[in-house]
Amino acid sequence: MARSPAQKPPAVHITQDDVQRFCEFLYRRTGMMFSDEKRYYIDRRLAERIAATGSPSFQAYFARLRSDTDHEIEHLVNAFTVNETYFYREEHQLRCMTTDLLDRILRGKRPEEPIRIWSIPCSSGEEPYSIAVWLMENWSEVDSYNIEIVGSDIDTRALRAAADGIYGERALMRLSRDVVARYFQPTGSGEYQIDPGLRNSIQFTRANLVDGQDMARYRGFDLVFCRNVLIYFDDASRRSAAENLYDCLRPGGYICLGHSETMSRISPLFRVCRFSDAIVYQRPEADDAAE
Amino acid sequence: MPFVKREIAKPAKPAAADSNEGSVLASLRSSDPEVRWGAARALGHRADEVPLLAAALAAETVERVREAMITALMRIGDEASVTALLPYLRAQDAGLRAAAIEALQALPDAISPFVTALLKDDDSDVRILASELVRNMPAAEATRILCDLLAREQHANVCAAAIDVLTEVGTRDAVPALRACAARFEGTPFVPFAASIAIARLSGTET
Amino acid sequence: MPQNDRAAAASGKRILVVDDSSLVRLYCRDALEQAGFEVEQAINGIEALEKVLAQPFDLVIVDVNMPRMDGFSFLRALRRSAPDVATLPALVISTEAGELDLDDARAAGANFYLVKPVSQIDLLRHAAVLTGAST
Repeated sequence: MARSPAQKPPAVHITQDDVQRFCEFLYRRTGMMFSDEKRYYIDRRLAERIAATGSPSFQAYFARLRSDTDHEIEHLVNAFTVNETYFYREEHQLRCMTTDLLDRILRGKRPEEPIRIWSIPCSSGEEPYSIAVWLMENWSEVDSYNIEIVGSDIDTRALRAAADGIYGERALMRLSRDVVARYFQPTGSGEYQIDPGLRNSIQFTRANLVDGQDMARYRGFDLVFCRNVLIYFDDASRRSAAENLYDCLRPGGYICLGHSETMSRISPLFRVCRFSDAIVYQRPEADDAAE
Repeated sequence: MPFVKREIAKPAKPAAADSNEGSVLASLRSSDPEVRWGAARALGHRADEVPLLAAALAAETVERVREAMITALMRIGDEASVTALLPYLRAQDAGLRAAAIEALQALPDAISPFVTALLKDDDSDVRILASELVRNMPAAEATRILCDLLAREQHANVCAAAIDVLTEVGTRDAVPALRACAARFEGTPFVPFAASIAIARLSGTET
Repeated sequence: MPQNDRAAAASGKRILVVDDSSLVRLYCRDALEQAGFEVEQAINGIEALEKVLAQPFDLVIVDVNMPRMDGFSFLRALRRSAPDVATLPALVISTEAGELDLDDARAAGANFYLVKPVSQIDLLRHAAVLTGAST
C-alpha cells in the first residue's frame, strides 16, 4: 500500500501477550524458539512484518499470518533466518558427513559403487561445490572412491549460475585463502570462478521436490542435503516432498535439513540420528525398523 | 578428481491419464508394500480415488505406506476425504489418531461441516481432538464454535483443549465464556489457569 | 521438604515437557521452574527425540495424543536409543484413564502415569521422585 512520504503510518501497538501468541504460533509452525534475550529481535521483526503488510493492528496481521495470506509465512520465516548462501554454510553438517556419515554409508556399499550425494535445492551452486571442496580438503579417503554429486533446483536461472560457478568474495568468506587458491580462479573483475575440473564434476539438473514423476528420476542416493526449503511449503506439500525424498534415498541413507528446520514439523518417515556434529535424519533400513 | 557424473533420465512423458489411473488404483491392493507405496504417492489428484484410497488405508499395515495414503487423501482434501479420515479419530492406536489429526487439521474448509457434530460426540476424547480441528478456522467462526462448546461442556479436558485453541485463534468475544468456564471449574486443576492465560491474551484484541 | 531445600535438590535437574498444548507446557514449566528445575519443551514425539538426543535430561514428561508422533511411539523409540538415553525416566500424562491405556503406557516404557487434568502439586511431587530430587 503506497503512502506519500509525509504520511508515516502510526506505529501499531504490540503487547507482551501479542508477542507471546505470535511466538507460540511461530514455534508450533516451524519449531523456531527464542530465548528471552532475543525479545528485542522478535519485536523488531514482528513490527517490520506488520508494517510491510500494511496491517492496522496485530490482530489483523496475525489473521493474515494464520491464513498464510500472500505467503506471509514465507516472508516471516525469511525475516527470521539468514538467507544468504555461501560456501561452507552450516559447516557442522559437512563435518558430520566426513566424521560419521561416510563410514556408515560405505558399510552398505560394494567397493565399485559410487557414493551418491544430492544437493536440492542447490541454488547457485555454493552447496554442491562446497560438498566437493570439503571432501577433497577433509576426507582422507576421497581418492579411493567414486563420488557422484548432483545439484538440483527448480530455478533454471540459478542452475545456469551454478554451472558458471562464478562467485563474489562474500560467498567465499568462510574459505581460507589456500582453499580459494586451490579451487578458484580470479575472473579479473573481483570475482572468482570454480576450476573447470570441478565445474564439470557436478551434475546440475532442474527438479521439483513435490513432483513425484520428476523426483522418480533420482534413485539410490546415500546423502541428501535439503536445506531451507521445506520450511516454506504448506502441510500437504511438505509431506509429499518428504515422501519423494524418502524414495530417492537408499535404505539407510541420510538427509540433512537447514539449521532452523526439524522433521518434527515435516514428516514422521525418518529416524532421528545423533552425531557429535549434527542431528541428521535417516531413511530406515527396513520398514519394521521405522519408529 | 574422484567425482563422476551420471546422466539423470529425462522426465518421462506423462502416460495417458485414464489408462494409467486404473492400473495405479489396482496397485493399491498389491501384496508388495513397495507397489502400494508407489501407487499412493501417484494418487491424490482426483476425487473419485477417495473410496479406493479409504479402503486401502483401512487395510494398510506398513506405516510409511499408510502415511502416503493419508497424504493422498490430504491432496484431494474434499469432504469425502474428510469422511474417510474421521473414523481414525476413534482409533485405539495413538499413532493412527496422530496421523488423522495431522491430516484433518490441514483441511479447515472441508472439515467445517463436520466440526459441530464432532464437538457434540459422546466420547470426550473425540471432542478433545475435534477442538484441535478448529485451530485453522477463521477467528470469528472458531471463537463462536468454541464458546458454544465451553458454555455446555462438562468435561475438564475438553474445556482445556478448547481453551488452548482459543488462545491462538480467539477474539475478545471469547472472554465472557472463558470467565464463566473458569468459575465453573474453580478448584479443578489446570482449567482456571488456562482460562486466565487465554483471557490475558485475548483481552487486547479486537472482535 | 522446605521450599529452599526443594529448590536446591531440583537445581541442575533438567526436565523435558512434551505436549502439543502450549498452555499445558506453560503450566508445567511454571510449576517446575519455580521448584528449581530447568525445563525444556517439545511439541511432539519427533522434537522430543531430537532434544533428548541432543542434551541430557533427568526426566521427560510426555502427553500421549500429539500429531505426527504420539507419546507411546516416542517412548518406544526412546527405549530403543543409545544406552545413555534409553533409561531416561518418563512420566506419561494423558486424558485417558482406562486399564488398557495404563497397560499401553507400561508396555511402551513409561515409569509413571498421571491422568489429566494434573495438579501442579502432583506434577511436582512425581517430578521430584522421578528425578531423585526428593529425599
